Amino acid sequence: MAVEVSNNHKQQKATERTPRILVFACKWCGLIGADGAGRKREPLPPNFRVIPVECVGSVEPDAVIRAFADGMDGVIVMGCHLGGCRFNDANHAAFKRLELLRALLEGVGIGRDRLLVTFGTAHEGHQFTDVLRNFTNLIAKKESLDTSWTSSRARMI
Amino acid sequence: MKNITVFLCTCFDEINRVVDYERLCSHLSDDPRVAAVTVSRGLCVSGGAGEIGASVKSGDGRVLIAACSPLARGDQVMRDLERAGVPAFRRHLVDLREGCAWIHGNNPAAATEKALDLLNMGLTALEYKEPSADVTLKIADEVLVIGAGPAGMAAATALARCGVDVRVLERGAQPGGMLGLVSRSYPDNTDPSEKIAAFRDLAASDPRITFHSKVKIISARGYAGNFTVRFTAEGEELQAHAGAVIIATGGRVFPPKGYYRYGEVREVVSQIELEARFRKGPVKKENAVFIQCVGARCEERPYCSTICCPASIKNAMRIMDENENARVWILHRDIMMPGTTLEAYYKKAMERGVRFIRYAESDPPRILGDEAVETVEVRDDITGDRRTIPADLVVLSTPLIAGTDAEAIGDLFGIQRDSYGFFREIYPLHPVETRIDGVYICGSARWPVSSEQAMVQGEAAAMKAAALVGRQTIRASEFSRVPGAKFGHARVNEDTCSGCGNCAAVCSFDAIRLQRRSGEGEFRMVSRVIKVRCKACGNCLSVCPNGSMQMPEMNTKALYGMVGKAFS
Ligand SMILES: Cc1cc2nc3c(=O)[nH]c(=O)nc-3n(C[C@H](O)[C@H](O)[C@H](O)COP(=O)(O)OP(=O)(O)OC[C@H]3O[C@@H](n4cnc5c(N)ncnc54)[C@H](O)[C@@H]3O)c2cc1C
Ligand code: SF4
Ligand code: SF4
Repeated sequence: MAVEVSNNHKQQKATERTPRILVFACKWCGLIGADGAGRKREPLPPNFRVIPVECVGSVEPDAVIRAFADGMDGVIVMGCHLGGCRFNDANHAAFKRLELLRALLEGVGIGRDRLLVTFGTAHEGHQFTDVLRNFTNLIAKKESLDTSWTSSRARMI
Repeated sequence: MKNITVFLCTCFDEINRVVDYERLCSHLSDDPRVAAVTVSRGLCVSGGAGEIGASVKSGDGRVLIAACSPLARGDQVMRDLERAGVPAFRRHLVDLREGCAWIHGNNPAAATEKALDLLNMGLTALEYKEPSADVTLKIADEVLVIGAGPAGMAAATALARCGVDVRVLERGAQPGGMLGLVSRSYPDNTDPSEKIAAFRDLAASDPRITFHSKVKIISARGYAGNFTVRFTAEGEELQAHAGAVIIATGGRVFPPKGYYRYGEVREVVSQIELEARFRKGPVKKENAVFIQCVGARCEERPYCSTICCPASIKNAMRIMDENENARVWILHRDIMMPGTTLEAYYKKAMERGVRFIRYAESDPPRILGDEAVETVEVRDDITGDRRTIPADLVVLSTPLIAGTDAEAIGDLFGIQRDSYGFFREIYPLHPVETRIDGVYICGSARWPVSSEQAMVQGEAAAMKAAALVGRQTIRASEFSRVPGAKFGHARVNEDTCSGCGNCAAVCSFDAIRLQRRSGEGEFRMVSRVIKVRCKACGNCLSVCPNGSMQMPEMNTKALYGMVGKAFS
């Protein structure tokens, strides 16, 4: 379903363009999953870019907002299982923060489901693949975000 | 600035089979930041890291490596670079194999576009990365052991044998801990006072061990290599400077108040009271009933305390030793006797005629009798029969719970406790380490254990501490939970820090302190990062409202730069 947008801002119809997806993957789980997918040579849509981070704790909400402002259609943050974080409970804190951010994104009309926060296990290439494919499908069905509009919206936060 | 050297690895044509390297090269050579581009066939096998290192060592050279994933050979190349003198902020790895060529083999054009973006992201990151200044610390050579129960005694003994100076702080008047309250120790039925006396002698004769009794800890400050602990011992105020701290403060026995008419009728006692009676003299009883899991494995305390089943079995046999006609029942919910020795001990008890009856948690035994206990009524959960057992002694097996000052000790040293108040290790795989480097835990302070296990853990903690204080100096970056050095640590800009304390609150390594900073005409609080403690998770910078907290090797500029170049 398309995002509910509460005002009449200019919107593009769903375009042919494949959505742009940015993945923040922590080195200890998300990135290992991505690596697993790579090792199995799983064919994946080339519409995503991975930024490796030490821990999802370091994914500042501002960076996610910046991603939308810079034209991303969706952002995924991948961390380790809650309780399985190498940095004590750093991913718990990140989870809470990013949940709040999702609410904010909803509030400004970007939509909460454009930010996916997942916590999974390392060594599971298929998990990475599934998450990425499903998310791409979800975002592809949405109206694409108009960047001039998103940036001003995103910067409001 | 033209200071980035790029090395593109083809991985023996694995990558350039899909990705158009000619386009990458021409794009890169047009970039004003790139000094040189070299295409190599196998960076990991050519041993090229040394040469790469030499080529970028001078001035402000930086190196971008495009090769396979860090988990394949990428990290190895990075480690080689580290050894060759190229620190984290001067290098960046781009994964073009697992992260690009291998997953987009069916779409070479898009794969090349993606590779270009990834390289651009890398270049931008390199442009902004900064170093976290490392610090080298001197390590104090003494180890502090808090608590002189079996765990603390074993730790101190092991350290002294390794030639390490150790200072033991004991709250009580004597060493021994809970073992000093036990009449005989399972599974070998030895008198624990021998073990305790042996330690007392060692502490008195070995110049490496300093033993303080009647200790009260006042304060603890510092970090791995440099802890300062102030305390009073027999009223006298003292201070210790230690490189590592071993916490062996044990637990305490849960008092069975409110259970099985304890305190209401005579001869309903706790296990530890029975131990005290044995220590005074023989306990002659005709019919003794032990009740297990009193206040344990229940909703409030769902854990098994592990020591009460063997303790009951030990004391059941002891009662039979002292009166050969005595009959003994153990009413249990499960008998927990793991391992070869304890299982053999359990078998021996059955052979000797100790009777085991299983009851259900929902239908616990009842104590009957007016002044003193007369009978115990129990429903056998296996047969369903209700039985009335004559009893002139009922012993309640209660679990160990966290010590009275576990909270205070935890707060002093910044270590975490679990839901039941026991100290928490780093789970999994680091059984005696805590989230604070240089602070180790062992024995019942960590989780209820037998004295033997407490000793094993004490020795394990001693070895960890010895490995730390055995060195003269250490670099902050070495305190990493992962092989190799951690990649950096957080840095605060004191000029812009507003002292809000968000970072200090979120840091789960207790690595940030708010401190006063007084400059000309200013007096305010700013946060300071304790580099040794910081593990570089980045949580603090995510909550800093004005970007004062940064991770130099991946600062906001570098991160935002990468985001901006993701689809360029
Ligand atoms: C009834 C009963 C029977 C048992 N029988 C046996 C047995 O037969 N065999 C066996 O192997 N185990 C037995 N145990 C278990 C055994 O006693 C414990 O496992 C063992 O003592 C744990 O050792 P510990 O060193 O970890 O802690 P403890 O023995 O509890 O020692 C902790 C020490 O730290 C000191 N301390 C605490 N707080 C501070 C502080 N803030 N500052 C300074 N010092 C402090 C305490 O005074 C104490 O001396 C029994 C336990 C109970 C309850
Ligand atoms: S060891 Fe203690 S808590 Fe565990 S089953 Fe036995 S009596 Fe219950
Ligand atoms: S990076 Fe993590 S460990 Fe380091 S100071 Fe910040 S919150 Fe604490």
